[in-house]
Amino acid sequence: MRLKRFTPIQKMFHILLMFSFLTQAVTGTARMYIETQWGQMLAQPFGGYDGCLIVHKYTGLFMLLLFLCHLVYALFIIFAHKAERDDTLLPQGRDIGQFFAHLRWMVGGNAPRFERWGYWEKFDYWAVFWGMIILGITGLMLYSPLETSRYFKGWSLNVALWVHRIEACLAMLHVFIIHFAIAHLRRHNFPMDRAMFCGDTDLEAASHERPAWIARLRTNDNLENQISSDAPTLRVAVSYIIGLSAVILGIYLVIGGLMNACIVNW
Amino acid sequence: MQRLTQFMALLLAGVFLALPCAAQEEVAGADRYRMREASSGYYEQYEVMPNRGSPFLQWNAPDVPITLGGRAPAATYQADSHALVPYYERQRCESCHKAEAHNNRHVTRRNITCRQCHGGEPIAGVNHYFSTLNPIRRHAMVCAKCHQGASGSFAMYVVHEPSPLLAGTAGSFPVLYWAVWIMLGIAVGTFALFLPHTGLWMLRELFTRKDKGGEG
Repeated sequence: MRLKRFTPIQKMFHILLMFSFLTQAVTGTARMYIETQWGQMLAQPFGGYDGCLIVHKYTGLFMLLLFLCHLVYALFIIFAHKAERDDTLLPQGRDIGQFFAHLRWMVGGNAPRFERWGYWEKFDYWAVFWGMIILGITGLMLYSPLETSRYFKGWSLNVALWVHRIEACLAMLHVFIIHFAIAHLRRHNFPMDRAMFCGDTDLEAASHERPAWIARLRTNDNLENQISSDAPTLRVAVSYIIGLSAVILGIYLVIGGLMNACIVNW
Repeated sequence: MQRLTQFMALLLAGVFLALPCAAQEEVAGADRYRMREASSGYYEQYEVMPNRGSPFLQWNAPDVPITLGGRAPAATYQADSHALVPYYERQRCESCHKAEAHNNRHVTRRNITCRQCHGGEPIAGVNHYFSTLNPIRRHAMVCAKCHQGASGSFAMYVVHEPSPLLAGTAGSFPVLYWAVWIMLGIAVGTFALFLPHTGLWMLRELFTRKDKGGEG
């Protein structure tokens, strides 16, 4: 039996963010490693060093637009009271307690009773805001260095480039290692948690991992309304292809980046 | 009476005939001298020649007097900055400027050679008054060759960027040094927390039956 977890709009935001993020990751890494054969190989499909920059700039603008659309969407959800209080993604005091309870579970204690969103999912969600602000500001500065130098001194471009680089590496490593490990590679989700692509999750698995959420749905008599039929086989297959391709690409970028890091003039 | 008429006529002419002149654009007032240059950042070479009371000050000029002669940093003010380098003609730029050959993305990413910016022999020190790389005209004479419309501010981009991780950068480029270290601190802190967390989680699930999750 399947349980609704994401709305079509939320799935669309995630898909668009995923594709644009992967494009930025490949083009950005290609430019960062352009001195190496590996970097040149990554840049080739985009037209080399300069082609990567063009794709990187326009995809970056698209990501900022997507971010603004999501802000409007999130504000609409909040002010139109479209979500219940316990469905919130805002950090709460109980998240800290659940984080430590989860750590205790990892070393043999009892598992905490998670609500709809765990603390790690809230962290992932808000990390995107942090990343979009830092990468967006520095990216816009680097978008047109001549224009930027009208408002800031030229050396600010040196600073912007380094901040952009480090934040991009942080974002890539977090997504490709930590997010993928939790959403795809840990045993209970392996080979992939397809909730974000199909929109639903397994009710039995959810009742084990998020008992507080299921208990709330039962108490409010909302569980029946949230039950959905299983996604068509084709959609499931496409979800697996897209999701696992992203994992393979991400791991490939991490390994390639680490292997070539020592031969780049940073 | 005739004198009074002449006087009045001259007075009226002086008052009213001056009006069209006042409406004309003043193009050569002392107060407007160099306004165009100051706003655009582009100066004629004779305007930045060294002389007493020159209003043009380099943004990177040192606070202490420069003694000409010897090696860097004084050499950056010489007409021939390599005049005292022995066997100069047999050496390559990278022979001495090892760090500058690698800390420069123009070289490592764009294959731009040293001479494309520093000019031909004799290579003037970057702070020499007539050097094309002098900060007074660097943007117009060097940067604008590729970056059309480069301004004086744009030319303050640090082409030979010091490694932001080295302690010495805290003195030479403190904003870069602290920005990079703060960002690295955030990145290291994030992974120091979440890598062991995720590893432990994966290990715990590896040795746990699925139906035991979420109990308690």
